[in-house]
Amino acid sequence: MDNTNERFEPRIVAFLCRWCSYAGADLAGVSRLTYPPNIVPIRVNCSGRVDAEMVLGALEKGADGVLIGGCHPGDCHYVSGNYKTRRRIALLKQALTEVGIDPDRVHLEWISASEGIKFQATMTSYTERIRELGPSPVREVKEPIHG
Amino acid sequence: MAKAKIGIYWAASCGGCDCALLEVNEQILDVIAAADILLWPCAADPKYADLRGYKNGELDIVLFNGAIRTEENRELAQLIRQKTKYLVAFGSCAQSGGLIGLANQSSKAEIFQTVYGDKEHWPEEHTTQNDCELDLPEFLPRLTHLAEVVEVDYVVPGCPPPRPVVSALFSALVAGDLPAAGTVFASSKNVCEECSREREQKKITRILRPHQHEPDPEKCLLDQGFMCMGPATRGGCQAVCPAANMPCTGCAGPTANIRDQGAAMLNTVASLIGTGEEGEDQLAAEDEILSQFDDIVGTFYRFSAATTIFKERYHERNGSTR
Repeated sequence: MDNTNERFEPRIVAFLCRWCSYAGADLAGVSRLTYPPNIVPIRVNCSGRVDAEMVLGALEKGADGVLIGGCHPGDCHYVSGNYKTRRRIALLKQALTEVGIDPDRVHLEWISASEGIKFQATMTSYTERIRELGPSPVREVKEPIHG
Repeated sequence: MAKAKIGIYWAASCGGCDCALLEVNEQILDVIAAADILLWPCAADPKYADLRGYKNGELDIVLFNGAIRTEENRELAQLIRQKTKYLVAFGSCAQSGGLIGLANQSSKAEIFQTVYGDKEHWPEEHTTQNDCELDLPEFLPRLTHLAEVVEVDYVVPGCPPPRPVVSALFSALVAGDLPAAGTVFASSKNVCEECSREREQKKITRILRPHQHEPDPEKCLLDQGFMCMGPATRGGCQAVCPAANMPCTGCAGPTANIRDQGAAMLNTVASLIGTGEEGEDQLAAEDEILSQFDDIVGTFYRFSAATTIFKERYHERNGSTR
């Protein structure tokens, strides 16, 4: 991606809760709202299901950004899954910052089933934010030790 | 039955693992009766040339402690792998890079500055001393664990491996009855299973550090707010640290069902943080507790950073952490 003539196209993994954010994505789709094709959506039953290992795994495997979409506070289908993921993401961002990774590479957003427009706006602005950050430093080829 | 041939080697190591071998007390006599020690740089004086002289697979088992920090560590790991039938990652550093894996967060220059002081005192990789050419092994760009360099057959976890764990390995060795490759010589359950403290599964309402507060000796350390790694850490040590009123630091690595120990612990702690019933009105209070954390990677990944995404110091080109 060092070629400056070529626009950097980020690879973003989005974990979307099936009750709210994934339904929001569906609404964006049937409403024919357009947004950047850089997002790879993964449906999960609850944003509380997204554990730290899944987010770190996505970054390790080459994602430039990881987006987690959950229900608004008070709306969680499982009562409190979104509160747990909120605290988890806060700690994860702190850990990533400690090793020099920009905390914006992980982003949590509340998107309800009726917010197709918010889904579109979030995907657009997050893709732009990651484009601004550039390729993930985790992706840079490192000298293997086993050589 | 012919005596087994065993070796003990240290790479980037503090020497604690070699001492831990003697924690088994008189059981060491059974080991010596059943096996000849052909390699043990800490206690005997064999040369690398002796090791090179052995046939491939001539040694039965080698206990390898320490991480891979220099070219010499890597070369010896590869050489030992050829010469032994079974290779044991002995201790946290060999298992997962260990505590010193956190050094990957510093550059070579920063590490050398800390260890040797100003640049004029840094060792040179090639020098001439008294008309002799002297080459020091290369300092690798990153510290890693044994399994990244060669195949490992068994793991004996711990920093250093505790007596019951070392004893289990020696018993198998003396009986000539080694288990299937891939065995970890410790419990498959977590440290909490062996801990006698009283757990109420309360909320974590504040984050405490053991050098600032004295823990209550009866109650669960995590309930009190100390970041005890017990829930995500493999047992086998009989919970010696919590018994001594210190939180578990996670030296034995993840339990059998977890891959990323630090992530598992982070999930656990995040789920417990809070002051009361979860709700929108609690978010500010939760944020206040979250802000009390200091050094998350050094707490949750203290012994496993070198095997995870935290094995490097990253450099964002445009980010806020640049």
